[in-house]
Amino acid sequence: MSGSGQSHALKRRETVTAYLFMLPALCFFAAFVVLPMIMGIVTSLFNYTMKNPVSKETFIGLQNYVDLFHDATFKRSMLNTLILVVVTVPSVTMFSLWVSSVIYKMRPGWCSFFRCVFYLPVVTGTVAVVVVWRWMFDGYSGILNYLLKAVGIIDKNIRFLGDTRFAIWCIITIMFTTYVGQPIVLYVAALGNVDQSLVEAAQVDGANKMQVFWRIKWPQIMPTTLYIVVITTINTFQCFSLIQLLTSGGPSGSTNTVMYYLYQNAFSLYKYGYANSMGVILAIVIAVLSAIQFKVMSKDVSY
Amino acid sequence: MSEVIIKGLKKVYEGGVTAVHDVNLDIADKEFIVLVGPSGCGKSTTLRMVAGLEDITDGELYIDGKLCNNVEPKDRDIAMVFQSYALYPHMTVYDNMAFALKLKKVPKPEIDKKVREVAEILDITQYLDRKPKALSGGQRQRVAIGRAMVRDPKVFLMDEPLSNLDAKLRNQMRAEIIKLRSRINTTFMYVTHDQTEAMTLGDRIVIMKDGFVNQIGTPGEVFDKPVNLFVAGFIGMPVMNFFDNCKLILDDGVYYAQIRGARFKLDEFQQKALKQNGQQSCDIVAGIRPQHISVGQGDLEAKIVVNEMMGSEVHLHADSNGDEVVMVIPTVDLKTDVSMGATVKFSTQPKLIQLFDKASGNNLIWYDKASADACAPVCKNYIF
Repeated sequence: MSGSGQSHALKRRETVTAYLFMLPALCFFAAFVVLPMIMGIVTSLFNYTMKNPVSKETFIGLQNYVDLFHDATFKRSMLNTLILVVVTVPSVTMFSLWVSSVIYKMRPGWCSFFRCVFYLPVVTGTVAVVVVWRWMFDGYSGILNYLLKAVGIIDKNIRFLGDTRFAIWCIITIMFTTYVGQPIVLYVAALGNVDQSLVEAAQVDGANKMQVFWRIKWPQIMPTTLYIVVITTINTFQCFSLIQLLTSGGPSGSTNTVMYYLYQNAFSLYKYGYANSMGVILAIVIAVLSAIQFKVMSKDVSY
Repeated sequence: MSEVIIKGLKKVYEGGVTAVHDVNLDIADKEFIVLVGPSGCGKSTTLRMVAGLEDITDGELYIDGKLCNNVEPKDRDIAMVFQSYALYPHMTVYDNMAFALKLKKVPKPEIDKKVREVAEILDITQYLDRKPKALSGGQRQRVAIGRAMVRDPKVFLMDEPLSNLDAKLRNQMRAEIIKLRSRINTTFMYVTHDQTEAMTLGDRIVIMKDGFVNQIGTPGEVFDKPVNLFVAGFIGMPVMNFFDNCKLILDDGVYYAQIRGARFKLDEFQQKALKQNGQQSCDIVAGIRPQHISVGQGDLEAKIVVNEMMGSEVHLHADSNGDEVVMVIPTVDLKTDVSMGATVKFSTQPKLIQLFDKASGNNLIWYDKASADACAPVCKNYIF
């Protein structure tokens, strides 16, 4: 009995020590993540602007949320956000899977080269990336216009970033190029980790290359796919700097996203309460989508 | 009918490492052939070339009369059991076993019948709905064998299938494989580094070292008639005793083996064989199996260093003037004192002495140059 009592005390001491070690990180987490989250939810229930600080008088319950659903700009930005997600997530996932499945078997030198090429936009600052793309999309002297004219697809310049039909696709293009780097690195690692004997067993069992890929390798890399899909979805929802730098939501709201509209409300119009309610909605949408992705895809995840 | 013919098979890896030199092997239909040798001897590589998982650098491989050098693994109609089992972790046991048949587009009821039939034989019916991770090592092993069995392949390849199991389970599975063999009735190629597995399972054993085939023969042949020092030392437990610096003496037309202070007049068949080869007196390494030593009398003497009582027999490790000698003596009728520290006289029957040429390491009686040249160049380095 005394032995078990002793080990109990020892265990408690260990637990206390462990928490002490975690304390600094937990403090930061509480101060800069948990507290703002709670404050965000709370202030979304107030008519909190620069003039009206949070008080009894400014409490308006769910009015901010009701207003949101009548706000055409919000609806438009939500739609734009969903378009970005629906187009970007599958294309990024499929493209990176395709590239990785081609390069992971190459000699280490070539594999590293391609990983580098695709990863470069990830480590390059967004500002630099956007500036370069802006030149390329430029309506007067952009190389894209020049090339399209040279090939004969168009006969007069298009203002890609100033045209409601094209602006969002410009955003998607840049997003695509900056988002594929990480998944490619992850997929190359995952494909390299697939147990070679499983592949050989399938070959002996009579599977051709496609069957080996889709029936053996694909289920094996499912955890990676799940991670990539969830992370890309969240990144796309939270995309801000690209839009701020390239179009500022225009032309006529065609590239406005929830994140950018939130920023405008909070820091241009100083409607903090309203912006916070948007943040809450965005968080709920992301959480629900991620949960669905986990539910659907983890059925096939095997360890 | 599914014989496998291997002619001059060679494997050179990128970077110039030669894993397999010139292997020649004719495997008859329904024969169980075991490739055995220490790790790195090329046995697995040979098997993988037959499976099509490794490219063949040189030579020819015929399965069922068809040249298969450039045939994809999926078109060779072979089944393979891997050392790691290689069960598909995301599929149930049932799907693992049905996978090959599904790829062949066999009708569902037929797949179901076949899978259940094989599961019944292997006693894994109750695990069909489980994933491999929920099975023990022995059960996984059965599933791996079952997955190969459902296919009725032309050739059944097994790459060290028992080496991941513990000793008890290994013995059990070995017995099961012997039983299964009579049911499956196909050609087997089995790779192992365990000589007990090789001896108990194989119709014929192929003993390899450093990418060369050293001997091909039935278990009895490789045990009683080892062609060189390597085979003699590899097959048999405990390992054969070797007496270095002995002499073969031809005296007045009669051959004697001089082992330390003892002179053995060789048996008639040995006399005949040596005479036929025109063998002269020479330096030899004499080999005597521990089981072939008798204690109590004889011209050789040794001091017992370790005495291991096994029950029906006792294993003695003794020092005979600097030579380490292992003896396996039946305990029935054992009258000699074999306790530790005791000195015993020991002897053997001349016909059981293996005579190896000191220079080449080849057996003076059993090494047959013609057949050795046919299966592979001689492995010159006999140190193991």
